[in-house]
Amino acid sequence: MRPDRPQTAKSFPTPSIGVHLVVSTHGHNSAQRFWSVAREVCVLALALAFVIAGAGCGNDPNPLPLQSQREDGSSWLVRYAGMPTDPRSLDPQKSYDQMSRRLLEPVVETLLEYHPFKTDPYEVVPALLAEMPRAENQSDGSVLYTCTLRENIHFTDDPCFPGGKGRELVAADVQFAFQRLCDPKVESPVFGNLADYVVGMTEAFEDAKKNGRFDYSKPVRGVELLGDHSFRLRLTKSYPQIIYWLAMHFTSPVAREAVAYYDGASHPDGPRGAMRVRPKFEWHPVGTGPFVLREYHPGHSVRLVRNSGYRTTVFPSGGWSAERETELRPLAGAALPLLDEVMITIFRETLPVMLLTRQGYLDGMGVSKDAFNAFMTASNELTPKYRDRGMRLEKDVEPSTFYLSLNLQDPVLGSNKKLRQALSCAFDAQGWLDIFYNSVPIVAQQVIPPGLFGHQTDFRNPYGHDLEKGRRLLVEAGYPGGRDPKTGRPLELTMDVNATGAMERQMAEFTQRSLERLGIRVKVVENNFARMLEKEDQGNFQIASGTGWGADYPDPENFLFLFYSKNAPPVGKNVSRYSNPEFDRLFERMATMENNAERGEIVSKMNAILAEDCPVVLEFHRAMYVVVQPFAPRTQSNAMLEGGLKYARVDHAMREAMRAAWNPVPRWPLAVGVMFAAAALWYAAAWNRRRNV
Amino acid sequence: MNTLLDSLWVQNALVFAGLSLVAGLIASGARNERWRRALRRLRRDRIGLCAGAGIAVYLLVGLLEMVQIPTGDGGRVSVLVRMAGGVVEEKSYSAPLASHSLSVARPEPLKGRHLLGTTALGKDTLLQALRACRTALIIGGVTSLIYIPLGTLLGITAGYYRRWVDDLISYVYSTLASIPEILLLVSILMALGKGLGTMSLALGVTSWVGLCRLIRGETMRQAERPYVTAARALGQSHWKIITSHLLPNVLHLVLINFVLGFSGLVLAEAILSYLGVGSPVGTPSWGAMIDGARDELSRDPVVWWNLAAATGALFGLVLSLNVFGDALRRAFDPKRG
Repeated sequence: MRPDRPQTAKSFPTPSIGVHLVVSTHGHNSAQRFWSVAREVCVLALALAFVIAGAGCGNDPNPLPLQSQREDGSSWLVRYAGMPTDPRSLDPQKSYDQMSRRLLEPVVETLLEYHPFKTDPYEVVPALLAEMPRAENQSDGSVLYTCTLRENIHFTDDPCFPGGKGRELVAADVQFAFQRLCDPKVESPVFGNLADYVVGMTEAFEDAKKNGRFDYSKPVRGVELLGDHSFRLRLTKSYPQIIYWLAMHFTSPVAREAVAYYDGASHPDGPRGAMRVRPKFEWHPVGTGPFVLREYHPGHSVRLVRNSGYRTTVFPSGGWSAERETELRPLAGAALPLLDEVMITIFRETLPVMLLTRQGYLDGMGVSKDAFNAFMTASNELTPKYRDRGMRLEKDVEPSTFYLSLNLQDPVLGSNKKLRQALSCAFDAQGWLDIFYNSVPIVAQQVIPPGLFGHQTDFRNPYGHDLEKGRRLLVEAGYPGGRDPKTGRPLELTMDVNATGAMERQMAEFTQRSLERLGIRVKVVENNFARMLEKEDQGNFQIASGTGWGADYPDPENFLFLFYSKNAPPVGKNVSRYSNPEFDRLFERMATMENNAERGEIVSKMNAILAEDCPVVLEFHRAMYVVVQPFAPRTQSNAMLEGGLKYARVDHAMREAMRAAWNPVPRWPLAVGVMFAAAALWYAAAWNRRRNV
Repeated sequence: MNTLLDSLWVQNALVFAGLSLVAGLIASGARNERWRRALRRLRRDRIGLCAGAGIAVYLLVGLLEMVQIPTGDGGRVSVLVRMAGGVVEEKSYSAPLASHSLSVARPEPLKGRHLLGTTALGKDTLLQALRACRTALIIGGVTSLIYIPLGTLLGITAGYYRRWVDDLISYVYSTLASIPEILLLVSILMALGKGLGTMSLALGVTSWVGLCRLIRGETMRQAERPYVTAARALGQSHWKIITSHLLPNVLHLVLINFVLGFSGLVLAEAILSYLGVGSPVGTPSWGAMIDGARDELSRDPVVWWNLAAATGALFGLVLSLNVFGDALRRAFDPKRG
């Protein structure tokens, strides 16, 4: 026990400020004790801060990998990537957003998949299926596809399986996936698309709605099991695009045990039977893919780890361009995946992505508008600084098309084709891309984007940007100089925009000014996203800005259906409410055809009809430059794959060396820290000596 | 009605009518002896006069942007834009006094020189900052036209009649004041839609409380003074007492509140535009320029001149208004002899 201090007035040193504080006798002990404790706390805090600061020293913001070495002593290969937002769901039958696809693709395999190198045209190859299914036309008009699964493919080990050991994939898992598509509780967004073609899906859905629950003991009639590893898919009519649906995760097989196990409820799974909440299945996908989802921290990061039992596919042995032969030939037939771990960080801002790529802590990035000037030269090449580091620049063109929708049910725009053509001529798409996208995307000349069957490279939109032509067309439309002869005042049109940020407002202003060059007036109505969708669904607009479509699958049908009259909202996405019997007739014929010369001819006719009728003002096909690090070269750049992580590779040793070279550690903070610590220790020792005298 | 309001000459007439109204009110107030004394004191306050001159410059620029003149092709253009006729539009960003556009990828020679550079859409930043004075003046002016009569009327009524009238008015403003102002503003704007008119209305509805409280207190004080008792004893009507005796004696508070409140309204417009619920697309506004700078500051190289121009212009006006407001308060202060 510490002895009491003498009860006399005394001055006490206050080391922190270097003056003497006089304390009266009254309350002397408590004040003395206070300063004594305060000193101790200060010294301890100082030491602790130093220890923490020392421990936290280091420039690498990435979490530590799970292992530093493989079992055979070679380097543990980690890929560091980023993504801008969280996925909305990881349920294969439900999720429809890009971020979900990015995480599902490495975890949940599909029956078929896109060849990583064959992109013009895109080619689908077997994945879980042993071979490509072939269509067998039946006399009643239905079409059968007999599918055989590869044998000895196992789900990843997971507590949902008996003994935690993943069981073999069987055809019943495909049946279960189709049942889930029909279950109203799953709310699959593609149910309508498939139910039109797969026999029995609508019936199963209606039964479930009537009974209030889906009866999983009843199979979907269109998916007939022929054995443990084979099944037959029955379609009501010819639909060659079903191949693409089999390459999407909506039809990926699902283990019944996983859905039952991951129910979001509490179970005695903890040590000594402690209750623990299991995640819902939509946040814990269990698949047969090359990776396992090990960690997901919403808003922060995702960790994927190699599935050691992955056997489905190997690295392709061909299909790449001749100039990549030397680079890729050594990988032919290699076991996949090439990586051991993938660490994905969720970046809501673009600036950290640019900074971390510069430092080598990210293995690549898309060149955003903010980073453009820092990375690109006048001739659209990498700046010498980054080129000298060995970085490479690649351009990705996404199969997508963006446009302004003109409402054809509007009395002014709907009945006046010349007016629509004039608006199309007024919009300066190239200027728009120059300002807002650094000229990277491609001005759209037609609805079908490059790389898809039916895209005509030599086709030019007859009503592309040409202001003089636009003014002439406006005269023919009955609005000379943009004025309505009935009122003598400029024609006023309303444009609805989804303007939630400064850039969107600038884009709206650009479009407004572009169209107003005709002499008309364009009133901009700003909406939030939900209100914009509501207006599009209700047809409550004249011009809708920001509409567009990204390919679900690489087929012209997936873009031309946007103008099919029976696909008007709320059923579909024919936002313009375009209706042309000739176009509809051609669409119905083209939709179920295989790609051949006749189909190509029909598609070009449809392109011409759309170009002449101008139901939309075409803007652009999205494209982006991607910076690739020298230690993480891209093995594939197929836009239909969401990352293709199983083909990705990394050179660990080169990365370590480059990181060290790019991020020299200054020595002076360490020296200052040591001096500071020494001073603190000296002071602490001196103070302690004084106190104990 | 809309067609009439859309007419060029009607709009110009409205601008001049509004200006005349303000001038008339000030002239009318200046007949009061207290105002004359304050004016004499104000003349001796150099800082106050400088601030007043600053406000006058902003007012002039705003008026030049408000007054529209016809162009040959049937369109219209503001006097300010016509005066700046030599200022050409570029394709996109260019730095202050640069000879080429900002793009590193495709730097193109500019059509002209721009003292403060150009915006994303190639507009001259200085001209945009000057044109934004109109938005600030409209918001400040129209909102003042709404909240000052409302606050003054309710304040005098509550202070003069007291009892249940006072209880009722106090209840209303206490309730209104209990709702966070920014949430109330955003809610009103979301419901009514974006526009300078709706923004003025929303700000007017939420801004009268402070003035009402002030006027209520002053009216209560004045109502106890002998001159009001004498007027009552002479049998003058309530209306006469309020308008002839009380109002002139609280009007100096209204004036000070107007000047100081104006700066708050200009800032509120900038804040609302920054939040994306303020000025509509295409309307030059300091808030919208500052909002745009969120993206511009994260570019490499940084586009700083839009933020600097908007902030500088906003700072100048708000500082001038605050300094002038303080000068007015000092000038009207009876303790200063």
